Amino acid sequence: MSAGFRAVQWNRDKIIYDAVLLAAAALFIGGFMAVGARLDPPANAAAWADLRLRACGLCAFGMITLILCIGPLARLNARFLPLLYNRRHFGVLAFCVALVHGVSVADWFYSQGTLADLAAELTTGANYTKFIGFTTKAIGLSALAVFFVMAATSHDYWLGFLSPPVWKAIHMGVYGAYGLLILHVSLGLMQEKRSLWVPVLLGGSFALVAGLHIAAGWRGREGDRPGPLTADGWITLGPPEAIPEGRARIVSAPGGERIAVFRAGAVVSAVTNLCAHQNGPLGEGRVVDGCIVCPWHGYQYRLEDGCAPAPFTEKLATHRLRLRGGILEVDPAPLPPGTAAALELGA
Amino acid sequence: MMRAHRAVHRWLWPVLALAVTLGFTLALAWRPPPDPPQERPLDPPTGAETAK
Repeated sequence: MSAGFRAVQWNRDKIIYDAVLLAAAALFIGGFMAVGARLDPPANAAAWADLRLRACGLCAFGMITLILCIGPLARLNARFLPLLYNRRHFGVLAFCVALVHGVSVADWFYSQGTLADLAAELTTGANYTKFIGFTTKAIGLSALAVFFVMAATSHDYWLGFLSPPVWKAIHMGVYGAYGLLILHVSLGLMQEKRSLWVPVLLGGSFALVAGLHIAAGWRGREGDRPGPLTADGWITLGPPEAIPEGRARIVSAPGGERIAVFRAGAVVSAVTNLCAHQNGPLGEGRVVDGCIVCPWHGYQYRLEDGCAPAPFTEKLATHRLRLRGGILEVDPAPLPPGTAAALELGA
Repeated sequence: MMRAHRAVHRWLWPVLALAVTLGFTLALAWRPPPDPPQERPLDPPTGAETAK
């Protein structure tokens, strides 16, 4: 499979999403620095670098916390799906802000002529052998490296080149990086500042992110249990009318992927629940103008054969369906992508 | 998400939550004590004491 590069395809929603992101980040950093400079006017370049690194550090931490909440929130409640639409741009902006934070740390040392101290802190082995006093800058740099890989591979070119499962596996590295970020602040800022807000903000943020992920994962367990099987191994769904018009019912193949069974009028169609773009949950989408629409990014597939309408070329694996005694049944074995397999009721 | 990703998700987050909570708690418990408060200069004598 080859992957062709296509520039970001801007649309009104993406522009609004990005404009809100940029404005919010600029407002936060600008406001933090303006208030900080007013309360304690920076006397020299090092003091300005210190103010900038605190503003950008807090902003990047807040952004990454929010980004990590979006996925589980969208799985728990569809109202949060619009936030997921352009989450990759959110991630790239968070990386840029984190990078400015890292550069500001180096600038703080540089402006005092003590860059050698920074190098010594990072390269002294003894700093890596103790818990309190561990080189937190190395932890921060490790997290930044993970965010860099994610930002650099966030474009659809890399998604197509690596394939959605590999891309997703790489991008799950953000969870570990977030853990590193918590330790970076716990062993750094939290050791220096005695105020209560640091542990409260840090612990509260992590509890929120971890709690949402665990809750979403727990709730998703049910969906991976295979439905009742017939004697010849097909999955029993129930009467077609039980599937809401224009929507899907999701069933799980034994040991395999989930299957989305859509109904639009008298047509019933079973396709893989994995969108060909980013493996989004197609079964949580709906049918619009005869096409299944992915709830994540709006990718479309024809109901009858799982093929994206021209000029697009994505195809979904489809599944055979049959109606026996008024009960719909689906074959868990997938057909080759793009195979017409829809069932017309009453035909 | 694929089934494999969901499975990884389900065990990864509880493990990560435990590990990070442990690290965070230890970092909080082993924080160095705050700097001792600086000695305040003695209050200036009151007018009555000065008069003595």
